[in-house]
Amino acid sequence: MDVTTAPHRIPAEMPQYGEANHIFELMQNMLEQLLIHQPEDPIPFMIKHLRRDNDNVPKIVILGPPASGKTTIAMWLCKHLNSNLVSKENLVVRELSFLTAEARKHYQRTKTVPSTLLVQLIEERLAEEDCVKRGWILDSIPETREQALMIQSRGVIPRHVIVLSALDTVLIERNLGKRVDPQTGEIYHTTFDWPPESDTQNRLVVPGGISEMETARKLLEYHRNIVGIIPSYPKILKVISADQPCVDVFYQALTYVQTHHRSNAPFTPRVLLCGPTGSGKSLQAALLAQKYGLVNVCCGQLLKEAVAGKTQFGELIQPFFEKEMAVPDSLVVKVLSQRLDQQDSIQKGWVLHGFPRDLDQAHMLNSLGYDPNRVFFLNVPLDSIIERLTLRRIDPVTGERYHLLYKPPPTVEIQARLLQNPKDSEEQVKLKVDLFYRNSADLEQFYRRAVTLNGDQDPYTVFEYVESGIINPLPKKIP
Amino acid sequence: MASLLTDRTSRAVNTYTYTSRPRALPCQRRRYRDNFLQPEEEPMRYGNIMYDRRVIRGNTYALQTGQLPGQPDPLELQRQQQAKRRALARKRAQEQLRPRTPEPVEGRKHMDVQTELYLEEIADRIIEVDMECQTDAFLDRPSTPLFIPAKTGKDVDTQILEGELFNFDLEVKPMLDVLVGKTIEQSLLEVMEEEELANLQAMQYAYEEIQNIELAEVQRLEEQERRHREEKERRKHQQWEIVNKHKETSQKIAARAFAQRYLADLLPSVFSSLRDSGYFYDPIERDIEIGFLPWLMNEVEKTMEYSMVGRTVLDMLIREVVEKRLSMYENKEDKHQSLRPEDEHGGPGAMRDQPVSYDFQEQSLSHTQRPLLDRDDLPRMSYDGRPSQERKYMEEGELLGQSEETAIRKSLGKEELQ
Repeated sequence: MDVTTAPHRIPAEMPQYGEANHIFELMQNMLEQLLIHQPEDPIPFMIKHLRRDNDNVPKIVILGPPASGKTTIAMWLCKHLNSNLVSKENLVVRELSFLTAEARKHYQRTKTVPSTLLVQLIEERLAEEDCVKRGWILDSIPETREQALMIQSRGVIPRHVIVLSALDTVLIERNLGKRVDPQTGEIYHTTFDWPPESDTQNRLVVPGGISEMETARKLLEYHRNIVGIIPSYPKILKVISADQPCVDVFYQALTYVQTHHRSNAPFTPRVLLCGPTGSGKSLQAALLAQKYGLVNVCCGQLLKEAVAGKTQFGELIQPFFEKEMAVPDSLVVKVLSQRLDQQDSIQKGWVLHGFPRDLDQAHMLNSLGYDPNRVFFLNVPLDSIIERLTLRRIDPVTGERYHLLYKPPPTVEIQARLLQNPKDSEEQVKLKVDLFYRNSADLEQFYRRAVTLNGDQDPYTVFEYVESGIINPLPKKIP
Repeated sequence: MASLLTDRTSRAVNTYTYTSRPRALPCQRRRYRDNFLQPEEEPMRYGNIMYDRRVIRGNTYALQTGQLPGQPDPLELQRQQQAKRRALARKRAQEQLRPRTPEPVEGRKHMDVQTELYLEEIADRIIEVDMECQTDAFLDRPSTPLFIPAKTGKDVDTQILEGELFNFDLEVKPMLDVLVGKTIEQSLLEVMEEEELANLQAMQYAYEEIQNIELAEVQRLEEQERRHREEKERRKHQQWEIVNKHKETSQKIAARAFAQRYLADLLPSVFSSLRDSGYFYDPIERDIEIGFLPWLMNEVEKTMEYSMVGRTVLDMLIREVVEKRLSMYENKEDKHQSLRPEDEHGGPGAMRDQPVSYDFQEQSLSHTQRPLLDRDDLPRMSYDGRPSQERKYMEEGELLGQSEETAIRKSLGKEELQ
C-alpha cells in the first residue's frame, strides 16, 4: 500500500498549534470577509486581510435608553481599549465626503439624520484606517430596526452588543442631573459623576432636552425601537443593568467585551486538575471522563498499575513503594509520557490529576509537550478537607466505603465494625495539605491562565463550573 | 680483693651510694709559691690523717680535759702561737720585698712556659778546638798530552744491524702478497658487488613487478571499493530521499487530513455566523419587513386618517350648526337666559372623547402633529392627558375655520410623502 492509504498518525503538535493560534477562528473570519466582499482577486484580498490581522480588535455596539450612561461607558471603553468612538455627532462633524455636508444641514435643522445617509456615513467611517486597525465602538447606533438591518446587510458586524437597561423613573430622575463639558464633550452628573477639577466644574453647562417631558418622550421612542433591534443580534447581546455605579457597569462591560464567544473550532480538552488532597479531583476527573469520554489519568493510579502489572517500569518503581518513599520525578514522567502518548489519549483528550506537584515537575511536563489547555485549581478550606477525609470509613466485610457525614452506613452493626484507613488520620491529612500549599504558589504562577474554583460545594455544582470552564474559551487577561 | 670488688662492681653497676663520697685527700706539700693574695680560708691542705694532729689518738670515751703531757699549758701555748704568728708575719714581710714577676701589662696575661729543653748555660769561657793540616810531597811533571783540537761538528753514526739490510725478495713477498691479495680481493669484491648489484637489480625488478601487480591489484580493489562506496552512498542517498519524501508526504497528508478534519466544520460555522450576524437574511422575510409592512401601516394610517378627517368634518359641521343656532337663539333669547349653549357646548365635547382616542394620537403623532405643532408650538402630550385632551379640543375648536383646509393639506402632504 502506498503512502496515501497507509494509516498515518496525526502528530500531536498539529492540533495544539491549531488551538494555540486560533486557526479555526482565523479561517472563519477570512472566509466571512471573502463572502461579504466577494472580490475579483480572492488571493490578494486574503493576503491583505491576513496582513491586517485585526481579528481581535474591539467591535462593539452600545445601546441604551437616554440617561443610561452610554456615552460615558463608550468613552471609557474607548480609552481603555484604545479604540475609536463613533457616534452620530462624531459622524456629522467629520469631513468625510459630500454626504456629510448634506447630513450636517439636516442635522442642524432637525437633530436627526436620515437612516440611509447615516448608514452610508457609518460604512465610510468604519472603512477608514484607524477603525480597521484599532476597532470601533458605536454609541447608540443603530437607533431603529431599519438602521440595524441596513448596517447588517452592508456587512458591518459587531462582535459584542451591550444594552444598558434601567427603570424609566430612575432614568428620568438621573437625566435631570446631566451636565456637559463643552470643551471635551464629556458628560458629568451632579450626583453620580462629579468632575474633580474645579475649573471643569465651572465650565459645565446644562445641556438642552433634559427636562422630564423630553426624557419621557425619548424613552418612549427608545422603547419602541429597541424591541426591534434586540432580535437582530441574538447571540452577541448582553444586557447590563445601568442602575448601579458607573464603575461597576464599566467593569461588567469590559469583562464582557474581552471574552471570546464560543467558536466551533474542534477542541480536544487536555485538562489539569490541581488541588490539595480531598478537594475532589478524582471525583471531578471521573465525572469528566464519563461525560466527555476523556481519558482519566491519575498519576498515583498509573504507578500502582505499573507495579501490579510487573512491567519494566513497575519493577523499577517497586522498591520505592516498599520503602514508602516518593518515586523520583524521572520515572514518574516516563510512565506518564508512555500513557499520554497512546492514541486514545491524543484523540480523545485527557484529564490529569495528581501530577505535577511542584514547579520542576510542571516544567518537565511542559518540556515533553503535554501542555494542558485547561488548568483548574480547586480551593477547599482545611476544615472541609479534614471533614471530608477523616470521616471516611470502610466496611471490612463487604468492602463498601462509607462516609460518616455524607453517606452514613445504614445499620448500627455495620457502623460498629467500620475501619479507618491510617492514611486518613488528621495528621497525615494535614501533612499532605501542607505539602500541597507549599508548592501551590509556584504552580499558580506557572499556569497563568488557570481557573480557580471553589471546591467547597456540592460535587455536581463544581462539575458544572468545570464544564463551563472547559467549554467556554479562556478569558483574556486584562493587560 | 676490695679493689677487685670495686672494679667488678664499678664495671657492673655505675651507681654506688656513699654517705660521703670518696675524695682526694689534700696534701700538705705546697706546690707553688705562697700566694698572699689568696685568703687564708682556702680549703685546707689535706694530708695523711695518721699524721694529722687534730685527730685524737687513744681512747675517746674518757676525754682528757687537761692538756696532753707533751703539750705545753695553754698560756704557753698561746705565747707559742703568738710567736709563731710573729715569725710568720716577718717571713711574710720579707717575702713581700722579694722581687716577683711583675703584673702583666694591660691586656696581657702571664703564661707558664717550660724552657728546660732550651736552656743554655751562659759562661765567659771561650770554647777552643785544635785543628792540623799537611801538604803533599812534590811529584814529576807528566808528559804533555797530544793536542787534540776541539771537536767541531756533530758526530753521527749508524750501525747496520743484523736484518736491517733490505732484502728485496724477502721484503717484497708480503707486500706482493698483500698487493695481489688485495687486488684479488678487491676484484672479487667488485665482482661480488657487481653480482650483488645485478642481483639486487633483478630483485628490484622482480619486486617492482610484484609491486606493480600489487598496485594494480590495489588500484583495482580501490576502484572497486570506491565504486561500491559510491554505489552505497547513492543508494543511501536515494533511500534517504525516499524516506524523506515518504515522511514529508505522510506529514503533508497528515496535515491535510488534520486540516480537513479541523476545518470540516468551517463552512457551516461561517454560514451560521453570517446568518446570526444578519448578513444572510431570509429575503422574503426582509422584503416583507421592509417593503410590505410599512406600506401596510401607511395604508392603515391613511384609512384611519380618512375616518379622522370624516369625524373632523362632522365636528365642524356640527359646530357650525350649533353656532348658527346659538346665534339665532341668542338673538331670540335676549329676553331670557338659559344653559342651553353650555349643554350644547358640553355635548359635542363628550362626543369627541372616544373618537379622539389615545391610540390614534400616538399613531398619527409623527405625521399629523408635526405640521400642527410647527405652526402652533403646542406642548407635547403625556400618557393620560385628560386635561390636555380638552386643551386640544379647544385649540381644535379655534382652528375650526382653518381645519378643513388643513385636513385637505394633510392628506395631500401624506400622499406626497408616500
